[in-house]
Amino acid sequence: MGIPLAIFYFVYLGFVVVFLFFTFFNVYHLVRFGFLSLGNLGVISFYLLVSAMILSSSWYYLSQIDWSQIIPITLQVMPTI
Amino acid sequence: MSKAHIPNRKKDEKIILLLRRHPFVIAIKIGFWLVVAIMPLALYLIMSPAVDELLNHQIFQPLLIMFISIYYLYVWLFIFQSFVDYYLDIWIVTSHRIINIEQKGLFFRTVSEQNLYRVQDVTSELKGFFSTMFDYGTVYIQTAGEEVRFIFRQVPHPYQVAEKIGKIVEESKRFNKMMESEDKITIN
Repeated sequence: MGIPLAIFYFVYLGFVVVFLFFTFFNVYHLVRFGFLSLGNLGVISFYLLVSAMILSSSWYYLSQIDWSQIIPITLQVMPTI
Repeated sequence: MSKAHIPNRKKDEKIILLLRRHPFVIAIKIGFWLVVAIMPLALYLIMSPAVDELLNHQIFQPLLIMFISIYYLYVWLFIFQSFVDYYLDIWIVTSHRIINIEQKGLFFRTVSEQNLYRVQDVTSELKGFFSTMFDYGTVYIQTAGEEVRFIFRQVPHPYQVAEKIGKIVEESKRFNKMMESEDKITIN
């Protein structure tokens, strides 16, 4: 008996969706109400670039994981630290 | 600044002042989030053997990767949110009006304006250590309109701004009086 690891993956995806939602509206506000100056466009591009880097590097590591694993509910799951 | 971004712009309207908060204010916010971003790295340096063990663990490795990913995504989002707040809060003084544009959260934006000749009093306030050091503060504009008080928050050089607005208001009142007396002459 245990918790499927995939549950945490879906929770993670939920956080990513919220992140994308806020990102969309922040960028929308900057484009709609901000001023289309080179500085503003630069900030938006830089933000999107760094966000894409964080997401793609996370994806790189997470894609190698076997999500069918089950986390056993025993005390022995904790490694000795 | 693009002309399109001044609401209901009149033909002969000129921008005299366009103010945002002092850059120090946004620097403090971004600085805070950068410290938050560095904290896990500092923690890793202190507890690297334990973290290494977790990273090699079959179950804890994915959990840790997901946590780090979410942590940095949201720190980055909060930094961007701070910038958006800073960038979209604007106070504009034109040759005719004072415009107050404030972004209060993701779905709350207020735009208020008042004619210059309706301004009754302009006060500047500089309070606190950093405010005095970096010369930024608050300018209060008392008006006779519905929005009785316009507040320019944490703007650079508040004293000079208040002085400039005072002069523009005087000019605007004189011009408005002149126009009114001209209208009376025409009617008579």
